[in-house]
Amino acid sequence: MTNSSSQDETLQIAHVTKRYGSGSTEVTAVHDVSLTVSPGEIILIMGPSGSGKTTLLSMLGALLKPTEGAIQLNGTIISALAENRLPDIRLKQFGFIFQDFNLLSALTALENVAIVSELAGFKSGEARRKAASLLTELGLGERLNFLPEKLSGGEKQRVAIARALINDPALILADEPTANLDSKIGHEIMRLLRRIAKEQGRSVVIVSHDQRIKDIADRVLWLEDGEFKETVTMAIDPVCGMSVEREKAVSAEWEGEIFYFCARGCRDEFLNDPQKFLLTASQESSKKI
Amino acid sequence: MIRLAFRNLFQNKVRLVISVGGVALALLLILSLDAIFTGVERQVTAYIEYSGADIWVSQADVRNMHMASSSLPDSVARKVKFVPGVASVSPILYLTNNVVAGDERNLAYIIGLPENTELGGPWDISSGRSLPAEGEAIINRGVAEKSGIALGDEVEILGDEFKVTGFSEGTASLVNSVAFISMKDFEEMRGSYDTISFLLVKVSDGESPEAVAARIQTQVRDVTAQTRNDFAAQERQVIKDMSTDVITIMNLIGFLIGLAVMALTVYTSTLSRRREYGMLKALGARNTDLYLTVLAQAILSVILGFLFGLALTLLLTIVIPIFGSNLVLEVSRISLLKVGSVSLVIAAISAMLPIRQIAGLDPAMVFRGR
Repeated sequence: MTNSSSQDETLQIAHVTKRYGSGSTEVTAVHDVSLTVSPGEIILIMGPSGSGKTTLLSMLGALLKPTEGAIQLNGTIISALAENRLPDIRLKQFGFIFQDFNLLSALTALENVAIVSELAGFKSGEARRKAASLLTELGLGERLNFLPEKLSGGEKQRVAIARALINDPALILADEPTANLDSKIGHEIMRLLRRIAKEQGRSVVIVSHDQRIKDIADRVLWLEDGEFKETVTMAIDPVCGMSVEREKAVSAEWEGEIFYFCARGCRDEFLNDPQKFLLTASQESSKKI
Repeated sequence: MIRLAFRNLFQNKVRLVISVGGVALALLLILSLDAIFTGVERQVTAYIEYSGADIWVSQADVRNMHMASSSLPDSVARKVKFVPGVASVSPILYLTNNVVAGDERNLAYIIGLPENTELGGPWDISSGRSLPAEGEAIINRGVAEKSGIALGDEVEILGDEFKVTGFSEGTASLVNSVAFISMKDFEEMRGSYDTISFLLVKVSDGESPEAVAARIQTQVRDVTAQTRNDFAAQERQVIKDMSTDVITIMNLIGFLIGLAVMALTVYTSTLSRRREYGMLKALGARNTDLYLTVLAQAILSVILGFLFGLALTLLLTIVIPIFGSNLVLEVSRISLLKVGSVSLVIAAISAMLPIRQIAGLDPAMVFRGR
């Protein structure tokens, strides 16, 4: 079940297809999709409704088995595992973040996070200590004993992020994480997720319709009719800070490295004094993290 | 997961009240019915228990008093008295009849007592004489109050008039009371002077009633000798045999009501949290974790229902006698054990349907509200 050649990748999907039904009613939701996600990488999967995003996300999260192809997580082919081994994989290897937060309404913020740790086998006291520490780190130290109904949308999603992180997963799967948040809070949550991914080396796969979160992704994949149609690699313009698509951006090489810009004006400004912008970009980046 | 079950249970107060209240009322039905019959058993055997006799001797194969008659020749008393280990004997006469006062007729065990007897007489006198002389009767105080009888008034027993000279306590049950008259009056009214109904035996100090009863059984012909405990147990068994069908039907009704209420509330509770259970499955909770949550919720509900039902029953045991009823409720350990077991069965069965529902949940439902 393991493959030593793929140890550098958190997740590897090879020629995955998912079909529902059979004969004349057969529908192919995902067709021959391949993808590799590196540690700390953030992948954003976008696409129209019915494009197969949910099916793909369900397969990535070991909630659904592919009809064909293989899904490998940290060297283990999870798509070939027996059904009874999957809960443990989901519990310890994945963190899930949902559109509707999906917090347990009867439990407090602290208990919502701790219960996942308890399910993984930790004693109640230890689980609660870990949960409290995580929630405090995420700015919810004052909200530990609040029920979900007393929390704002942003706070609920932070609780969901803490819940996703508590078992130290390799991969975080987020389904429309900003759909129920206003744009400011949604962006804050996405920056938080990016910070966690980069600091802790966790891979993140996000499925979303929200164009505004493209700038936090390392790669944006367009899924349509069950297939990846386009891959966009994102970069930050070091002059104006805009998120730009590498394939469409103006670029320049300096000291062996390629930089991407939103327009020629930014590129010219950069080339006049590269050190100035690299220093600023580095400071901005450290501020973000 | 137990915490989750607890929180789920207490989150929706209306549902909690319905499920706990429904189960409590159903269990109250079973508990109170058991308590009534235990009380009746205690009342019906009170005369035997307080007779002062260690052994009851009756006609061969007659093993109880209720709805039975026993006839022994009075010579049996002499024979029994000579059995080793017997300290004293006292005959009684017994019939089931009515104590009539005006239009009031009260079913009663009529006991004919010899003069100055130490066994078989009333054990708790609230007023008046403690043993009846000729032409006198001692009746239950509650029956007297209900019929408006005062000391010195006359009542009709076995077709003859008796002057009430004493009131006794603890001699009435839901079924009947006990009235005491003199043996001489009893014999005259019956027209028979050489037979007795039962022989009450006191054993000597240090003798075991079981051993002496066995001796009487082997040494005296055509009698049945039983210890007081065995005789009372036989009496209780008669009551049980008479009421088994009623108790079974009422218990079944209580069980079904409790089960229906609990099954419905656990099912709707699980249905309303279907998405939460699906989410927990997606996060990695095993089916067994979720089954335990549902089962714990059902068990917690029935425990609360059981405690509430028990509290109501205990309240009834206090309140009912205040209203002057002869009904005495007594909660027995066996009844608690039975109703406790019934509660657990209710919890287990009511959790089955929701458990099946959870087993069929697709964890992928958490994505996009599927």
